[in-house]
Amino acid sequence: MHPSIKESILEKKDEIVEQWLEEIEQFRYEDYLQNISDSVYRSTNREFVDKIFETVDLCSDDVYERISQYSERLIQLGWPLNYITRGLQSFRQITVETLSNTGDNYCYDIEFYQEIESWIDNLINALVSDYSGSWENTVFSQKMALKELSAPLIPVFDEICVMPLIGTIDSERAKLIMENLLEGVIENRAQVVLIDITGVPVVDTMVAHHIIQAAEAVRLVGAECILVGIRPEIAQTVVNLGIDLGKFSTKSTLKKGMATALKMTDREIVDLASK
Amino acid sequence: MRIPILKLYDYLLISIQVELDDQTVLQFQEDVLNKIHQEGSRGVVIDLTSVEMVDSYIAKVLGDVVDMSKLMGAKVVLTGIQPSVAITLIDMGITLEDVATALDLEQGLEKLQRELEG
Amino acid sequence: MQVQTRVDIHSEWGIVAARQAGRKLAKEIGFGSVDQARITTAISELARNIYLYANQGEISIEEVASAGKRGMKVVASDRGPGIKDVRSVMEDGFTTSGGLGAGLPGVKRLMDDFDIDSEEEEGTTIISIKWLR
Repeated sequence: MHPSIKESILEKKDEIVEQWLEEIEQFRYEDYLQNISDSVYRSTNREFVDKIFETVDLCSDDVYERISQYSERLIQLGWPLNYITRGLQSFRQITVETLSNTGDNYCYDIEFYQEIESWIDNLINALVSDYSGSWENTVFSQKMALKELSAPLIPVFDEICVMPLIGTIDSERAKLIMENLLEGVIENRAQVVLIDITGVPVVDTMVAHHIIQAAEAVRLVGAECILVGIRPEIAQTVVNLGIDLGKFSTKSTLKKGMATALKMTDREIVDLASK
Repeated sequence: MRIPILKLYDYLLISIQVELDDQTVLQFQEDVLNKIHQEGSRGVVIDLTSVEMVDSYIAKVLGDVVDMSKLMGAKVVLTGIQPSVAITLIDMGITLEDVATALDLEQGLEKLQRELEG
Repeated sequence: MQVQTRVDIHSEWGIVAARQAGRKLAKEIGFGSVDQARITTAISELARNIYLYANQGEISIEEVASAGKRGMKVVASDRGPGIKDVRSVMEDGFTTSGGLGAGLPGVKRLMDDFDIDSEEEEGTTIISIKWLR
């Protein structure tokens, strides 16, 4: 930044800070900031404006470094991004206005505006990129968590496993379900797998197609599938859509399916009390 | 290359351990049928545990072996189909619907015994 | 470095060679076992088509990258008789050779991108790509 511009900015620092703190106070009653106590809000504002002035004489690489420590803290504390962007925008406005009022000649220079613009833009870029980076991380880790939860295969008896499916099934998830299912069958030496679709909200042709494919693949590796948890509305849609589930055994509940699975593996549940 | 076929009582046991090319798979078809004829076998277990890929041609020949053996009075069970192979076949729309399957050689044999000896 | 591997298909051994090369590259790129099987099977189908219908041609495989994604491209090309009716060969169960009729539609389902270009008496080129997830 041009030394003379920098100088006059620093000269007017107190004035700018004061105006800005006043201005930012108005945001307080909007947005998500209402739950923050007055003292925390004030001290954060104060720190923010100090940070901004710290970057006056840094080159852009150093700005990123300096800002990222600060933004990390803001992100952790959950300060919204628009507090940052609006704060910086009004800071820019106030700075330009304040300096214009001094009446010095350079204020009418286009270079003067450019200097201030690029200074503040740099800050906005650094902060936004930190924020979006942290969001991407969050999305990624949630995606991974969802993937892990997506299709567990639970061995319940020797040779019998259950796979409860919960939530919407898209083709990406269907692939995962299929792979987990088959690997699990081999690993657990399962003869029968019960696929429980109680938690699947909608069974359309696409979902049915994925389930049928999974059942066929299970048969190829040498086990049998029983589809359980068929609610009345699912039975209705399946028949209305003309989906043929005739090749598979289906049961309304997991309990009934389990009885069938035990029978298929030559076992049954006996009530000891009745003996 | 020839795939070895073992005889065990009334059954034939085959474990495919080689990369299947078209020639080998056709030779295999012929060998199995001859062996069934020779030994009067009632059941055949074909283990595919080591097979990493089955394309539509190999699937067709295997399906044919099952149908042909059936004509000659022998029931065939395919065992040990790998998950990746199963998924690939299903992707291609090949379900081998009428073919009996089991997890491994042992369970394949048990399946045959149960069905043939009651 | 991205290397393109070409395998000539003029005998049944070419089919085996092409799919072995395909599996090796798929593994190197980092595909999981299921996608390795999908790619290898697709190559096998494409190579067999060349052998059955055109007698000779080639399969080329290479790593590709686009829009931040990595993938594997498989190109099958021959100067054979070409395909008269591209639409019907893409139908399940259509066969002129007594096979299952799962070949080309199967390849399309096994891979992510699939493009077929065929001129009668000129030959056929099929370009397919599987993307790494």
